[in-house]
Amino acid sequence: MATASLIADSTQIAQGAEAVSDPPSRNTTRKVYKAYIHTSFDSDAKVPILLKHRFKKQYRHPSLDANLTRARVAGEARALLRCLRSGVSVPGIRMVDATEGVLGVEWIEGKSVRMLLGGGAEGEEEQVSDSEEFFDDTTDAGGESVSHVDPLDEYQVTIDEIMGLIGSEIAKMHKADIIHGDLTTSNMIIRHPFAAKGPSPTKLVLIDFGLAYTSTLVEDKAVDLYVLERAFASTHPDSEPMLFAVLEAYKKGMYKDWTTVERRLQDVRLRGRKRSMVG
Amino acid sequence: MPGTFKRSPLKRPERPYIALGLEGSANKLGAGIIKHDSDGSTTVLSNVRHTYITPPGEGFLPQDTARHHRQWIHSVIKDSLKQAGVEIHDLDCICFTKGPGMGAPLQSVALVARTLALMFDKPLVGVNHCVGHIEMGRQITGAQNPVVLYVSGGNTQVIAYSQQRYRIFGETLDIAVGNCLDRFARVINLSNDPSPGYNIEQEAKKGKKLLPLPYTTKGMDLSLSGILSTTEAYTYDKRFSQTVEPSPESDTITPADLCFSLQETVFAMLVEITERAMAHIGSKEVLIVGGVGCNERLQDMMGIMARERGGNVFATDERFCIDNGIMIAQAGLLSYRMGSVTPLSETSCTQRFRTDQVHVAWRA
Repeated sequence: MATASLIADSTQIAQGAEAVSDPPSRNTTRKVYKAYIHTSFDSDAKVPILLKHRFKKQYRHPSLDANLTRARVAGEARALLRCLRSGVSVPGIRMVDATEGVLGVEWIEGKSVRMLLGGGAEGEEEQVSDSEEFFDDTTDAGGESVSHVDPLDEYQVTIDEIMGLIGSEIAKMHKADIIHGDLTTSNMIIRHPFAAKGPSPTKLVLIDFGLAYTSTLVEDKAVDLYVLERAFASTHPDSEPMLFAVLEAYKKGMYKDWTTVERRLQDVRLRGRKRSMVG
Repeated sequence: MPGTFKRSPLKRPERPYIALGLEGSANKLGAGIIKHDSDGSTTVLSNVRHTYITPPGEGFLPQDTARHHRQWIHSVIKDSLKQAGVEIHDLDCICFTKGPGMGAPLQSVALVARTLALMFDKPLVGVNHCVGHIEMGRQITGAQNPVVLYVSGGNTQVIAYSQQRYRIFGETLDIAVGNCLDRFARVINLSNDPSPGYNIEQEAKKGKKLLPLPYTTKGMDLSLSGILSTTEAYTYDKRFSQTVEPSPESDTITPADLCFSLQETVFAMLVEITERAMAHIGSKEVLIVGGVGCNERLQDMMGIMARERGGNVFATDERFCIDNGIMIAQAGLLSYRMGSVTPLSETSCTQRFRTDQVHVAWRA
């Protein structure tokens, strides 16, 4: 199998927490590898790609598992493609093997927004569900012994700028009727300035469309934002001003669609069972 | 934070403490007596339960359930005291379920708790039902800081502890998983004795075919009502037959196949959101509590997932999974030892009482 040999030749990406926890690499629902592919037949030049392997879940009934895997890989590829067509900054697709559960996407050199913001209480353990697009950070592979340079300086961005980018990218995505489904700060990557070459380098890249789907419903867009809101609150203390900046940029990107989404977002915030309903 | 050890704020008792717990938030009426000894050990002195069982095809209604509780509460409490070998005067406090649950059954049990407290001059402690489940699960299994999957007839939540609260990471957006299973049991007329969930589990073992059902996880939340409707719709299908034996070849649909498909799909969703929560907080322990937690298929699936991640699963049997009085006594006594007593004026019940509303004073 071509796909299987590609995985065999690749290296599984060490994730932040795996250096300290054992057994290694059991912390997400998929395995992620860095592999190399040839760009053309005649050249020896190889480019890195990122392989996401949805391995078989033993606990699930085999046919249920196969169906889910196939649908999710295909769905992820489809969502990425739709994003690319609509100009949302996402990694490009390099290969798809839905039956094997493998998706290959563009390798992005950079750091997740969660890492750049200092990640809150569970900071060091980059273990948010499904966050597996990784970055090979050769400079401080030691993890804890972070270099003295403020990462924000190294990446030549400010927090305000990042928040603005997050808001406008999400707005672009929602305008194209794509719902991400798992918006967290781990699923957004800031490209390293050295890697951001090309005609129009985008600084912020949205990743992990594993739970994405298309929908025109205001409801789904509002829930998408609510997921981000909860993720911000649970990983970054005092996140309100940051979130406010995100929503400001989102509002700008959505134009007149904003009012309906805003109204629904307020409804969504009140959900959940057995809340006390006083007044 | 994993790895960092914090000292428990709960002091070792200077003398043995004994508490009575009364539970009646749904169709089970329970009384249990627990002892926290001065050497730090905990003993279950008695755990008595009486279940209100309705005929097949029927659920339990609040007023009938309350009537059942009123009828049985005397004998249940008497039995629990007798089995424990203690007098009511020996008790340190009386704990009762404050919520969440069905209004009428909750009130009838709280009334008894109040009466006992006034008659024998004992302090009252109101307990959150969900916290009771979690604390009993932790006590019995010895799990330290697990991700908790709380699955019962009225609740479906993935819970993790952080900063003196049990925080809800994911939950059902509509009906609870036990409710989904119970209602399907009613559709195919399964017996409610000993419980509809148990009979579904037995029926599912005979199932051969996996029928396509919606798989609706939304991030860490899930939705179950559509699955119930779809499963029910299969019973109106031309291929559905209650008399044929299940077989993988023929295209008939039997009740056993439906039970099997329902369990496989719903439990796969539960295990998936639990796995997400484990990945999120970096925990390797899972604790399953609540009535549906007795289901061995769910325990198996969770075990496989936990082992894939290098962790393990903790589950209890029906004595402690299904609603019982002892868990109320355990959680109540923990908070009593932290100096918390519910004044008589605040011993009302509430149907809405979220797990994350409780201040967990006894944990670091």
